[in-house]
Amino acid sequence: MQWLEITLTVDGEAAEAVADVLTRFAPQGVAMEATRLETSLDSDETRAVGDVLVRAYLPVDAALDVRRAELEQALWHMGQLLPLPAPTFRPVADTDWAQAWKSNFRPLRLGRRLMIVPAWLEPALEPGVAAIRLDPGMAFGTGTHPTTQLCLLAIERHLAPGAPMLDLGTGSGILAIAAARLGSGPVLALDVDPEAVRVAGENVIANGVAGQVRVVAGSLAEVLAGQYGPEWRGAPLVVANILARMIITLLEVGLAQIVAPGGLLVVSGILDTQAFEVTAALKIAGLTIVAQEQIDDWVALIARK
Amino acid sequence: MAKKVKGVTKLQIEAGKANPAPPIGPALAGYGINIMAFCKEYNARTANRPGEVIPAEITIFTDGSFTFVLKTSPTAVLLRKAAKIDKGSPQPNRNKVGRVTRQQVREIAEIKMKDLNAIDLEGAMKQVEGTARNMGIVVEG
Repeated sequence: MQWLEITLTVDGEAAEAVADVLTRFAPQGVAMEATRLETSLDSDETRAVGDVLVRAYLPVDAALDVRRAELEQALWHMGQLLPLPAPTFRPVADTDWAQAWKSNFRPLRLGRRLMIVPAWLEPALEPGVAAIRLDPGMAFGTGTHPTTQLCLLAIERHLAPGAPMLDLGTGSGILAIAAARLGSGPVLALDVDPEAVRVAGENVIANGVAGQVRVVAGSLAEVLAGQYGPEWRGAPLVVANILARMIITLLEVGLAQIVAPGGLLVVSGILDTQAFEVTAALKIAGLTIVAQEQIDDWVALIARK
Repeated sequence: MAKKVKGVTKLQIEAGKANPAPPIGPALAGYGINIMAFCKEYNARTANRPGEVIPAEITIFTDGSFTFVLKTSPTAVLLRKAAKIDKGSPQPNRNKVGRVTRQQVREIAEIKMKDLNAIDLEGAMKQVEGTARNMGIVVEG
């Protein structure tokens, strides 16, 4: 089956009314895509602003011409009330959409000893390389983002064999799994997002490291309160791949306290333009910067207590 | 400036019926995210509200992962319910197909307040009125 894609670029107010018209002709539903994203400077939160692309899909069949004419007529009438751009049309071939996205993910070799493998692939592994099997989905951390890669490289370099690691903001669990596969001691993986906790838990089991990695919903406050055991109030390696503002906030409320004396804190999710602020916050918290690593415009900072 | 967020797309679809066919498949294909993972999760979260149109706003991250939140019913659906009509006017500039009161507009605006980019309730009411006008629904009072 072929489809005809209809797109109108309209402002937020017109979007709902246009979507309602399109729904009449495309009862499976409509999609509204943001044309512009704005990230607030004080919280790093991103939200959609500005015009919206409203899209619907008509099946290409004997009734298409009639339906398309009716649709254009309905939009013309609406256009008499508020100015609307002409709709654009584009044929879309039927695709196996349930599978097509998988071509975006390939095995990814990182550092000397790590390989991220999409769950549906079985690549040959070189000896000494640890595979992390992941089904990309509803939690950050598929391995393709520079911040994830920076953290993975830092873990590979700085994790002592058998040493525990604390992963704050674990997302998909990728960093915690990597630590376990590289021979860490116990790993505590925390996230405030219950979805991430679920996904990370599944990934930990799929990678056979459930004995080493404990995934829990929680954050710094619970660690400081000793909720996961007193030993986590002084871990030799703490990794937080979140976002710059959140890292600064966490440093203000005691992030450095959960690093053991002489231990390392790895923070990432920091744009190069934000690195100086995080560096300052790390120094105020009493830590010494050991290294600043960068991929594209993302930075990871490694600091010693 | 690079960001962790790659895009934001809202899907206006029926509860419990997400599948990889249009609009979901082609709308998300360009982002390369796990479409089945979205469909499964959306259907699970909306299974108890069959027949309702429940929009999902999906945030796609630059590493191909994503997250989504369910949104309030579309304004047009709430207006149709308030006006007790099945669909908006095919010719809203000529034929008016229903009426709602200012009070109903206010109630809808209150429901939609958190999803509309409105500064205050007045602004949200203006947006709801605009949608009503474009559907051929008259606001009385």
